[in-house]
Amino acid sequence: MNKEQEHSFIALLERHQNIVHKVCRLYTNDYDAHNDLFQEITIQLWKAYPKFRGDAKFSTWMYRIGLNTAITLYRKSKRRVTTQDFDAVQFRIKAEDYDDTEEQQLKLLYSAVKQLNDIEKALVFLYLEDKNYREISETMGISEVNARVKMNRVKTKLRTILNP
Amino acid sequence: MDELDILKKDWNKEENQNFPKLSYNDIYKMLLKKSSSTVKWIFIISILEFLFWTIISFGIKDNESMKRLKGTDSETVLNVLTVLGYIVLCYFFYLFYKNYKKISTTDNAKKLMENILNTRRTVKQYVGFNLVFVVVSTVVVVLIEFNQDTHLEARVHEAAASGHIFMFYSKIILITAGILTITITILLGFYALIYGILLKRLNKNYKELKRMDL
Repeated sequence: MNKEQEHSFIALLERHQNIVHKVCRLYTNDYDAHNDLFQEITIQLWKAYPKFRGDAKFSTWMYRIGLNTAITLYRKSKRRVTTQDFDAVQFRIKAEDYDDTEEQQLKLLYSAVKQLNDIEKALVFLYLEDKNYREISETMGISEVNARVKMNRVKTKLRTILNP
Repeated sequence: MDELDILKKDWNKEENQNFPKLSYNDIYKMLLKKSSSTVKWIFIISILEFLFWTIISFGIKDNESMKRLKGTDSETVLNVLTVLGYIVLCYFFYLFYKNYKKISTTDNAKKLMENILNTRRTVKQYVGFNLVFVVVSTVVVVLIEFNQDTHLEARVHEAAASGHIFMFYSKIILITAGILTITITILLGFYALIYGILLKRLNKNYKELKRMDL
């Protein structure tokens, strides 16, 4: 990569860094793990950047590389998430902003998502990011129909976790 | 509204989008930082290796052949060599530590490349020193033993009397060379395995940096 490319890469990443943060938020449970994953995704993005042709949007490409990195890291370390971890650190929900029932419901929902496997999490992540099925299928490299089927399964699974 | 939509609403709330904002420089530094963990491992492994040899040397201090060396010049020479060895090893730790500190605080690609090359050179010198040290101390001790060990001297005279002195010396030289070769092979294997892997990683990072700098 030449200096110019390097500059444009860092500038783009600086602008879109929230995407990486959000991936980290879903896949990690504490500050250190968040930072580690952020750095790992940054490095993977940088390595992959020479192959980025601009036929996809930079942000779409970031979703793809970010999720891939999170999924492979997750597989390597086989980290399993416990609900307590996530309650304590991750989603700094301020109690006064919610009434008890809504807060409770959100906590349960987030902890249910944390119990999904890495691929299912990626689907949920893209859904939360307001991506449509075409975008989800592009990012995850599956067909649109497949994305819909998988998404429905995830929803069912979430319901089973929430109402055992 | 299904569960995921409730979650989506919360996920996209402004207060949940507030992440620490990294600057251009923070991201740039992140890309450079990869080498520091490798260099840290070089430092840690060299200390572990040092401890390993120290424990081994204490272990063999009291065995039979070491006791025979007691009181001869070999003991003095060995002690001098050991102290000398430790001083040089300490110097190498210092260098490894310095390299580690330098690399973990560098935020300039050119400097980092220089430091990576420096670390590689230090590791090679360290391995070279250890190998030369093994050879030199073995040869020195064997030579002294020939001059001083009464038991060995008697064997030399015996061999001279029966006319086999040439055979006797060749045997000793062959055995010493054999043992040295085995020791060096084991050491080289060990270094190639551990430091080799670390150096390879450093080299990869160096190449990446170089490509980025072109």
